[in-house]
Amino acid sequence: MESAKKLGKLPARCLVLGLALIWAFPTLGLAQTFRMVQSQQQLYAGPNFGAEIVGTVPGEVEVMVLQQSGDWYQVDYQGKKGWLPQQAFPVGKKLDLSTLLKGRAVPTTRTDEVALAGKGFTPEVEAGYRQKNPQLNYAAVDTIEQFKLPPVALQAFIREGGLQP
Amino acid sequence: MKNNPQRLILLVLSWLLVMGCAGVVAQIPESIRPMVDIAQKTGAKALEASQELSDSEEYYLGRGVAARILSQYPLSQDQVLNTYVNQVGQTVAQKSTRPTPYRGYHFAVLESSTPNSFACPGGFILVTKGMIKACENEDQLAAVLAHEVAHVAHRDGLSAISQARWTEVATTAGTEAAKHYGGALGQLLSRFEGSINDVFKTVIVNGYSRAAEEEADRAGVEILKRAGYNPAAMTAILTAMSSKGGSGGILGTHPDIRDRQDNIKIIAQEDNTGMEPARTKRFRALKP
Repeated sequence: MESAKKLGKLPARCLVLGLALIWAFPTLGLAQTFRMVQSQQQLYAGPNFGAEIVGTVPGEVEVMVLQQSGDWYQVDYQGKKGWLPQQAFPVGKKLDLSTLLKGRAVPTTRTDEVALAGKGFTPEVEAGYRQKNPQLNYAAVDTIEQFKLPPVALQAFIREGGLQP
Repeated sequence: MKNNPQRLILLVLSWLLVMGCAGVVAQIPESIRPMVDIAQKTGAKALEASQELSDSEEYYLGRGVAARILSQYPLSQDQVLNTYVNQVGQTVAQKSTRPTPYRGYHFAVLESSTPNSFACPGGFILVTKGMIKACENEDQLAAVLAHEVAHVAHRDGLSAISQARWTEVATTAGTEAAKHYGGALGQLLSRFEGSINDVFKTVIVNGYSRAAEEEADRAGVEILKRAGYNPAAMTAILTAMSSKGGSGGILGTHPDIRDRQDNIKIIAQEDNTGMEPARTKRFRALKP
């Protein structure tokens, strides 16, 4: 009789334990689909720029976010797992991986403009500032942003200099 | 036994209640951010001011500050040198406590013989040819860039924005920008312009606070160590610059260089690895 009572309490205890685990580790065993907008993002083997590049994710595709480590997210793209830095995603802030459990919609952002809607300083505000101050050298800022350093070249630079990857 | 189904339902309902509340709590910070699109549509006259800028806002602010600096200092057209400075800069940046700002770090060389370096919010770091020339080796250049990266990582530029910017929204209706553009956009534009002016003045003229400079020195030394550069290069470049009598950028206007050297004396000990010949060779080949 006593053992039957104990057995009866088992499902409830399992449920409580399960809920507690989910609450404590919201990303445990769950994944969230996220649409990429930035194109040609390098996939790294680990959550740092010195890690080996294991692939590339093109733009306008969906990746499965598996877990987070600081500003890095481990994703699964067509069966290939790797890490992307936070900046690879269109939203300029950390993804909230716990939203899936809270029943809210998966956040997908299609353009920078949408991502920045609701922010104080936006491209629109910058455009107004530039119109008011045409003497400012925004062209040079745009040029600087075009300076691209392929990860492979940076790794070679680090290696040749005897530095830490 | 009879209570089990009820207990299960109660547990599930409690869980849903807790998770639902958590969802509401998580949305509160977003709801109080300035909402330019909504404000424009609804004609709202007051905006919620927030002292905390998002990474994307910081990025647009940094672009404005960089554009002002680049109006005074021409951008070097030496692509090889710009690439090299980016290589050294990205090497140290990825070892900082903030390796990935909104659009990453961007490094560039300015055509000026005056030794100087500037860190703009969001990750724009500018260094003059004079500063590169003042460096004796790649490790010292890395020290300069690591110091500036630390300012970005610590968001020191944002601290330069006058506290009044966040409370003056209600009083900006009469400003030139507000009159020209009107409504919410005019108010935001006025605050944007004022914030850029504040940061620009600090970066170019006044320098950061003593505490911010010392913290950037310490963080810069740690970055050098993690990247594999000689940490003693930070002390060496401070010494070299003080003897040249420069100002601004890594030199700042205060505190005194000797105080800053004392500040990092213990952590910036010479390492035993020595200078990598390849680093010396490539630096000498590109030094202006």
